[in-house]
Amino acid sequence: MIFSLVERNIKLYFRDKASVFFSMLSVLIIIGLYVLFLGELVKGSGSAAGDAARFLTDSWIMAGVIATATVTTTLGALGQMVDDLARKINRDFETAPIKRWMIVLSYILSSITIGILMSLFTFALAEVYIVIYGGEVVSFLAFIKMLGIIVLSTITSSSFLFFFVSLVKTMNAFSVISTIVGTLIGFLMGIYVPIGILPTAIQYVIKVFPPSHAASLMRQIMINEVIDLSYLSTDTLQELGIRFFFGDTFLSPLVSILLLIGTTVVFFGISVWVLSKRKRES
Amino acid sequence: MDKIIEVKGLKNNYVPVEAVKGIDFYVEKGKLFAFLGPNGAGKSTTINVICTLLKYDAGDVSVNHLELGRDDDQIRNQIGIVFQDSVLDSLLTVEENLRIRGGFYGLSKDELSEAINKALTVTDIQELRNRRYGQLSGGQRRRADIARALIHQPKILFLDEPTTGLDPQTRKSVWTMIENLYVNEGVTVFLTTHYMEEAAKADYVIIIDNGHLVAKGTPNELKDKYSSDSLQIKPNDKSSLIEALSKDNISYRCESDVVIIPLQSTTDALPLLKKFESNITTFQVLNGTMDDAFISITGKEMRE
Repeated sequence: MIFSLVERNIKLYFRDKASVFFSMLSVLIIIGLYVLFLGELVKGSGSAAGDAARFLTDSWIMAGVIATATVTTTLGALGQMVDDLARKINRDFETAPIKRWMIVLSYILSSITIGILMSLFTFALAEVYIVIYGGEVVSFLAFIKMLGIIVLSTITSSSFLFFFVSLVKTMNAFSVISTIVGTLIGFLMGIYVPIGILPTAIQYVIKVFPPSHAASLMRQIMINEVIDLSYLSTDTLQELGIRFFFGDTFLSPLVSILLLIGTTVVFFGISVWVLSKRKRES
Repeated sequence: MDKIIEVKGLKNNYVPVEAVKGIDFYVEKGKLFAFLGPNGAGKSTTINVICTLLKYDAGDVSVNHLELGRDDDQIRNQIGIVFQDSVLDSLLTVEENLRIRGGFYGLSKDELSEAINKALTVTDIQELRNRRYGQLSGGQRRRADIARALIHQPKILFLDEPTTGLDPQTRKSVWTMIENLYVNEGVTVFLTTHYMEEAAKADYVIIIDNGHLVAKGTPNELKDKYSSDSLQIKPNDKSSLIEALSKDNISYRCESDVVIIPLQSTTDALPLLKKFESNITTFQVLNGTMDDAFISITGKEMRE
C-alpha cells in the first residue's frame, strides 16, 4: 500500500518539470555564480598553484553544492504533501483503508528517495565539471563515503524540513518556506562567503545548522582527494568550513555524523508528536 | 428491508456554518438515495461524517451494519466516493491513477488489473486508460473519478454533485451511466445534487436545512405534499378575470400578464377553463415539480 503512494509521489515530482527545476534552482544559482564570478576570484588569488588550485576550489564549491542539493531537492519533493492538502486530495487517501501514518511516511520516504536521486545527479554533474577543468574523478572509497553522507544528509533534511512543511496548509505558505531556504542556504552552507570570514556569532548559527555539517563532511572527503587534509593549516580548514572548530578543538567527522543523526531523531519525534495532537479535519 | 446506512441523532458542530443538529434517516440497500439541501445546510458535514472523514459529537451511524468510529477501516473498504472537486492526479494517466488508488485496498496484482479493467468498462473509458488525467475533458474526468470510486467494488457509492459544471449533453451521459450502476451493478447510490430533475429520479429523497431534516419521501410524495399543480391563464381582459375569481373565492396570483391558479389536481382545471373560456388568450396546466417542492420546503432556491 505504502509503496504505491511512494511511487506516486516520485512520479509526480519527476513529471512536474517546473518543480524539478525549482528544487534545483539554488544549486544552479550557486554554480552559475561560481562559474561567472567566484571562480575567477578564487583563481585570481591563488594563481601560482595552477591546475591543482583549480581542482581544490572546484572540489570545495562542489561539495557545498551537493550538500545544498540534499536540502533543496528534498524540500521540493515535500511540496507534494502541501499540494495534496491544498487540493484536498488527502481526502481520497483518508477515506481509503490506509492508515494515516502510512500516508505521512509515504511523503517522507518519497522525499528521501527523490533527494538522494537528485543529489547523486548533482554529484555526477559536479564530477563532470571538475574533470573538465583538469581535476580527477573521486576514488571509489571517497565515492562510497560521499554516498553515505548524501543519504544521511537527505534523511536529516527530510526530517528537519518535514516538521516545518507539516505546519503549512497552502502552496503560498510553502513557497515562502522554499524562498527562505533557497535564499539562505548558500550562506548557511558557507558557500557564498567562507565561514571564517563571517562574524563569530554568524559562525555559530552556521555550526548549529545541521545541514552545514553535511557540507563540512563532504568538503573533507572531496578535498582529501586533492590534497591530504593534514597538509592544510588549521586556519585554512577553519576558514573554508572544511572542519568546524569550537574554540581550539575541531569536531571530528563522527561528531558531525552523530549530530545529523540526532537532528533526524529529534525532528521526527517532534513531527510525530505534533501530528498525533492535530485534530482530524475535513 | 435492508438499511445499508442508518443515521440516528447525528450532531456535529465542528464546522459552525455547516452544523448538523440532530438528524435521523436511513438508506435502503440497492436504492438511489438523494440528499438535498441549500448551501450551508449541513450536507457536506453529514457526508464527511458518514465517509469517515469527520468525527461527530453525538449520535449513532452504521454503514452496512458496521459501527462508524469503531469499524472505520472496514467501512472504508465498502464505500466509494466521488468528491465534488477531483482528487486524481493530473500528471498521471488514468490507469496509473487507478492502480495507485486501487493499491490501498489490499488487492493482489492480478486482482487489481482485473478491477481496473472492470472499472474502466463500467464507466466506458477503456480507450482513455493511457491518457493523462489532466488532458481529459470535464465529462471524461468525471467518468475517471467514478472509475476510481468503483475500483474496490464498493457496496455504497457517494456522489457529491457529480454532474455540476458539466455541459447538458455530458451531464446526461454521465447521469445515464450512474443510473446503470445502481440498476445493473446493485450499488447503493448516495447522491447530492443541485439538479432537481436528477433528484426526481431517486427512489427516496431527504432534504435538510439549517442542520435539521425538513422533509423526506419519494419524489412523488414530496411533489404531492409540497408543490401544487397549477393552471396558468393569459386572459384577454385581466381585471375582469381577477374580479370573477375573487367573487368565486378562488385563490390566484399574478405574474406579469399571466394569472396563476393553484389546483388540487390537473382535472380541476376543466370547469375553470369552461367557465372563463371567452376570456382566455392562451393557457397551460402544469404539474408540480421537485423545484417547487424544494423551494416551498426550504424557502430557498437551490442554486443560490
